[in-house]
Amino acid sequence: MDLSQALNISAAGMDAQTQRLRVIAENLANQDSTGSFPGATPYRRKTTVFEDVMDQAMDARTVKVKAVVTDKSAFPQKYDPSNPAANPQGYVSTPNVNSFIEMMDMREAERSYSANLNVMQASRSMLTRVIDLLK
Amino acid sequence: MSELDGAESGIFALAERKMAWLDVRQKQLAENIANADTPDYRARDVAPFSSVLDQFNIAPVRTSPLHLAGFSLSPPGTTQTIAERAPDGNAVGLEDEMTKVGKGETDQALVGNLWKTYMGMFMTALGKN
Repeated sequence: MDLSQALNISAAGMDAQTQRLRVIAENLANQDSTGSFPGATPYRRKTTVFEDVMDQAMDARTVKVKAVVTDKSAFPQKYDPSNPAANPQGYVSTPNVNSFIEMMDMREAERSYSANLNVMQASRSMLTRVIDLLK
Repeated sequence: MSELDGAESGIFALAERKMAWLDVRQKQLAENIANADTPDYRARDVAPFSSVLDQFNIAPVRTSPLHLAGFSLSPPGTTQTIAERAPDGNAVGLEDEMTKVGKGETDQALVGNLWKTYMGMFMTALGKN
């Protein structure tokens, strides 16, 4: 029955988006995490990469999180001599997290999550309707 | 009463075909939407039902009793859907896919209701209403 497989595929999609949201939450929580000693590297932003995988048991192409990779962009410098992580010139490396980018990413994850949820509801009602034919 | 003779051909067989096709298609659409953020993934769709219908009309004929029955419910082939590509190479039009899901649901309800109505006519003919 392909409809029950459709349910599993949508569940895999929702799972992948949940993991992505978790990483976004991590980034936002750490957007002010600088080091604790002079010249320390601050928190580095993480991003999620998705991949479509062939699920042999299900005979379907589902989705999974391929890897959580780090953002290689440069750390913004901020002049704050009183910070314990400040270098001799008084500059502190701050995390390369931009809250606007994270917010946009979060919205996208939310949108994809609800799309998967809607497909799941549609598949479920189709499945129920087929079962109702037995009545 | 030959009009109601629907065991082998006619509405029941047609409804079964359409149901099977909607089933396969729903799975394909779920795959597309699950991969809506996967880099380099391109949305696909199953062959339209009209092509399945053409296959249905030219079912293999057994010219010898030694031949195997050639009737199969194999899923139709998939084709790539044309959609705008994102910078990461993903080409899934979420709105387009959701429209197809909605339409599939409506079609399935229609087929189900037709099947039920037809079955009801059988029941009436048998006097078990």
